[in-house]
Amino acid sequence: MLETSQHNNYTVAKLLIKEANLDVADQFKTEMLQLVDKGNSQIVVSFENVVYVDSSFLGALVSVLKYAMSKGGDIAVAQLNKDISNLFSLIRMNKVFKVYNTVPDVFA
Amino acid sequence: MPQSQKKILLVDDDRFILMLFDKALSTEGFQCLSASSVADALEILKTELPDIILSDYQMPGADGFEFRSIVLNDKRLKNIPFVFLTSYTDRDMIQRGLDMLAVDYIDKETPVALVVSKLNNILQAIRKQHEKSMNEIRVAAEALNLSSVPSEPPSVEGFKVNFLYKSFEDYPGGDFIDFIRIDNRFTFMVLGDVMGKKWGAWFFSFNFLSYIRSAIRLCVFDGDLSTASIIQKINKVIFMDPVLGDVLSTLSLLMIEHETGKVYYSGAGDLPLIWYKANEKKSVTVNSSGLLLGVMLEGQYNEEVMELLPGDQLIVVSDGMIDFEENGEKKSDYDLFFNLIQPILGNEGTLEMIKSVTFSEEKSKELVDDCSLLFIERK
Repeated sequence: MLETSQHNNYTVAKLLIKEANLDVADQFKTEMLQLVDKGNSQIVVSFENVVYVDSSFLGALVSVLKYAMSKGGDIAVAQLNKDISNLFSLIRMNKVFKVYNTVPDVFA
Repeated sequence: MPQSQKKILLVDDDRFILMLFDKALSTEGFQCLSASSVADALEILKTELPDIILSDYQMPGADGFEFRSIVLNDKRLKNIPFVFLTSYTDRDMIQRGLDMLAVDYIDKETPVALVVSKLNNILQAIRKQHEKSMNEIRVAAEALNLSSVPSEPPSVEGFKVNFLYKSFEDYPGGDFIDFIRIDNRFTFMVLGDVMGKKWGAWFFSFNFLSYIRSAIRLCVFDGDLSTASIIQKINKVIFMDPVLGDVLSTLSLLMIEHETGKVYYSGAGDLPLIWYKANEKKSVTVNSSGLLLGVMLEGQYNEEVMELLPGDQLIVVSDGMIDFEENGEKKSDYDLFFNLIQPILGNEGTLEMIKSVTFSEEKSKELVDDCSLLFIERK
């Protein structure tokens, strides 16, 4: 469910799903933890294809962030649609994750 | 797309069979996803989660058994009912399929109408079994007197306090509500939403509630009545909890001071509350600043103080209330919710009206999560 590619100093993990929900949360977490374990500690998750995110998926996302941080890494999100971006602001996820409008040149 | 429409994945290298089944099943209300090889099917399964899979045994490249084995090894896919479609009536082949936990096999010679009935029967049997298990858990939970929502609202001097709660498809969810009365002067109100759905979230809601109840009591014993300070303490304990640290929850914590009409409010990743000001006849939103419980050691919580005047109302909601479905797509839209209930606020029967607008039968069909609402009005 993730398509990964290497950028300057980080990995882009692009979600290949439309609905990021309970059904895919576990798999997302597993794939992300594997990425971190392989040494990709700076990851930008691209939501370009995603139209809806539910709370279970957000839980998985935060859980991955905590794991990455414990390994000295960080997780950012990019390309959120308007609704998801509003949701991130509403529940202050934008204070937890760096939010990029587009996939950035450098993860800073 | 209505929820009752079942999604089926058809896998067969014979395009004629695919077209035949696609046509027959679509007429019967199924949404069909067709794949002419295992590779195609796996590609579809990356983004789709069908209710049932109907697959041929023998196909060029990977065959049906190999496909079944891949599906069985995928946590996300393994519970999808799998039916083999075959032109072989070889007993060994059938046995091999059934050994791989396929729920059934269907002979390709079977008339299409019969295939449709068979698939419907399988789905119905699974649904019945599921309902039975759900009922058993529900009965057990009731026997243990486990409830994450109070049976009735508290009486608070000078205030009308009430709540609304609606589960999602009759599953209990992660929302929790509690009222804690501290002598005659203060009442704490708790509304939280453990992130996740159905039973998992419901189960964790008790752990969260236990921490919250004890933190409130312990802080009050120590003379600490700041909602921000209480919520930070709750956050710290949850952050350090080896199990709950991976489970997230929102929390709206309010403390009503009965005599003065002041309401103290702190929130963790919760939605803005709505304050209807009677003398100005307008509604404003009040935002809290804190992070979801358990995300970071320092949750950056602030405390807002609202002095309610007679007729003023406060509405606190969980995120299920702001989920909507439009043209088959789900979205969370707080502004839409705010605009929906704003004209209702300040009326005599506000709560009943909110209930009829947000919990109507029509709206219930759009629900994608459980929904909760706290209602406070100064008399």
